[in-house]
Amino acid sequence: MRLLLDFIRPTSGRAELFGLDARIHSVDIRQRVGYLPGELETYTNLTGREMLTYFASLRGRIDWNYAEVLAERLELDLSRSIKTLSKGNKQKIGLVQAFMHKPELLLLDEPTSGLDPLMQQEFYIMVREAKAEGRTVFLSSHVLTEVERIADRIGIIREGKLILEEAVTTIKDKALRQLEMHFASSVPAETFNGLPGVRNLRIENNIVYCSIEGSVDALIKAAAQFEVINITSHEPDLEEIFLAYYS
Amino acid sequence: MLSNIFLKTLRDQRKSFMWWSIGISALMILTILFYPSVSDSPEFDDLLHNMPEALAKLFIGEVSDLTSPEGYLNSQLFVLLMPLLFLFFSISHGSGAIAGEEESGTLDLLMSYPLKRSRVLMEKFAAMVVIILAFGFVFWFSIAVSAVIIGMDIILWRIAEATLSGVFLGLVFGTLSLTLGCSGNNRGLSIGVTSALGVAAYFLNALAPVVNVLEPLQKLSLFYYYIEADPLSNGLDLAHVVVLLGLTGILLAVALLTFDRRDLVA
Repeated sequence: MRLLLDFIRPTSGRAELFGLDARIHSVDIRQRVGYLPGELETYTNLTGREMLTYFASLRGRIDWNYAEVLAERLELDLSRSIKTLSKGNKQKIGLVQAFMHKPELLLLDEPTSGLDPLMQQEFYIMVREAKAEGRTVFLSSHVLTEVERIADRIGIIREGKLILEEAVTTIKDKALRQLEMHFASSVPAETFNGLPGVRNLRIENNIVYCSIEGSVDALIKAAAQFEVINITSHEPDLEEIFLAYYS
Repeated sequence: MLSNIFLKTLRDQRKSFMWWSIGISALMILTILFYPSVSDSPEFDDLLHNMPEALAKLFIGEVSDLTSPEGYLNSQLFVLLMPLLFLFFSISHGSGAIAGEEESGTLDLLMSYPLKRSRVLMEKFAAMVVIILAFGFVFWFSIAVSAVIIGMDIILWRIAEATLSGVFLGLVFGTLSLTLGCSGNNRGLSIGVTSALGVAAYFLNALAPVVNVLEPLQKLSLFYYYIEADPLSNGLDLAHVVVLLGLTGILLAVALLTFDRRDLVA
C-alpha cells in the first residue's frame, strides 16, 4: 500500500493505479484515494473536528456534511481533544478521513484494529456501501473472518510474493472440504478409492471419512448404491485455506 | 488556521512561541534596564582592558568598551547570547518540520493527501522562516522599547539590522537541521549534529583571532558572517548577508532533492 502511494519506491518494476504510474502521477492518484495507515498517528494537539477540517482542506473541496454523518454513525465525538480519545476512537478519525471524500479507491491497512464489535459492524456497512456505489476497497487484515466476510477477492502474500489472488468463492470451491458419511452397513473401500477429487480416504465402523476437492458429485453417486444414514460436511474457512498455503 | 500546512505549522507553535517571547522579552528588558548602572561606571571598561585578550574575545567578542550603548549591547547580547538563542530556537523548528512529523508517525497520513513532497517541504520551510522572523521581531521590539524607556543613545534601526543578522544566522542553522531531518527519520541526530556544528562555529569564530592555527579558518565559521561586520555599529554587510542567505538556499535545495528521492519511514 505504501508503495502504491509513493511513500516507498520499488527496488524493481513499477506499480499502476487507475492506469497511472504510481511514481509519476502520484498526486493525481492520491486525489482519488482514501488511505488509512496500519499504525495510525493523529495530531494530539487538535480536536477530532480540527484534524478532519485540516485534512479536508488539504484535499480541496469536500462535502463536510458527509464527514459529520460518518462521525455520527461511528459514534465519534468530534469536539473532544484527540489526546483524550481511546485507540478505537482515534481509529474512527482515521476511518472518517479515509471515507469522507468518497474516493474511488480506499486503501485500508488493518481498518478495524481497536474498534469495538458494534463499530466493526458499522464499518462493514460502510464498506458495503462503498462497494454498492461502485467504489473499490482494498484492505489488509489479519482477521481472516473479517476478510471472509467483506472481501470479494483476496490475495495472499508470502515472503513478499503474491502467491494467490482469486475470488473468495473460487478459492473456497477449490479448497479441500472434510466429508463424513455414515452408512447402515460396512462399505468396501474400493468404491470410493480413485474417485475424482477424493483424498485421505479412511473407513472406520461404517463411516467414511475423506477430504474432497471440487465437486462432490462422483462421491455422492458412488455412495448412493448403499444405505446412507447421514452426511456431514463443513465449509472450509479462510483460515484453514490460508494455513494450507503457508504449510 | 487549519487550511494548509503552513498555517497549521504556525498554529502548532502558538504556545511554545508565546513562552519563548515572554522569556526573551524579560531577558532583554532586564539586560537593558541594567545598562544605566554600567554606563555610569567607567570601571567596567577597566575590567575589560584587564581581562586576558582571549577570554574577552571568547565571551564578549570584538568590543572596545562596555559602557557605550553599542559596546554594552554587543557584549551582553549580540556576541554570544542572542546568536545562541537564535541557533537553538531555529534548530528546534527546523528539525521538527519533516523529521518531527515523521517521528511522530503523522507523515504517512499527511503524505497520503494529494500534495507533492516538495510542496509539503516548502510550506514547512516557509512556516519556519516566518517563526524565526517573528522571533527576531520579539527580540528587536523588546530591546527597542527598553532602550527608549531608559533613553539609550542608539539608533533603533541599527538594532533591527543586528537582530536581522541573527535571523539570517538562525535561518542557516534552522535549514541545516531541516535538511538533515529530511534525509532520514532522525530528529535527534538532526538536532545534535546542527547544535554541535553551531557551537563549534561559535568557538571557531571567537578563537580564530587569538589562536594562530585557527586564524585561516575563521571564514568557515558562519558566526563570522553574522557578527564580523558589527551590524549594530555599522549596519548589515551585504556580502555577509548574501553568504548566509545563499547557504540557506543551497541547503533548502539539498533538502528538496533528498526528501523527494527517499523512502518514507513507517
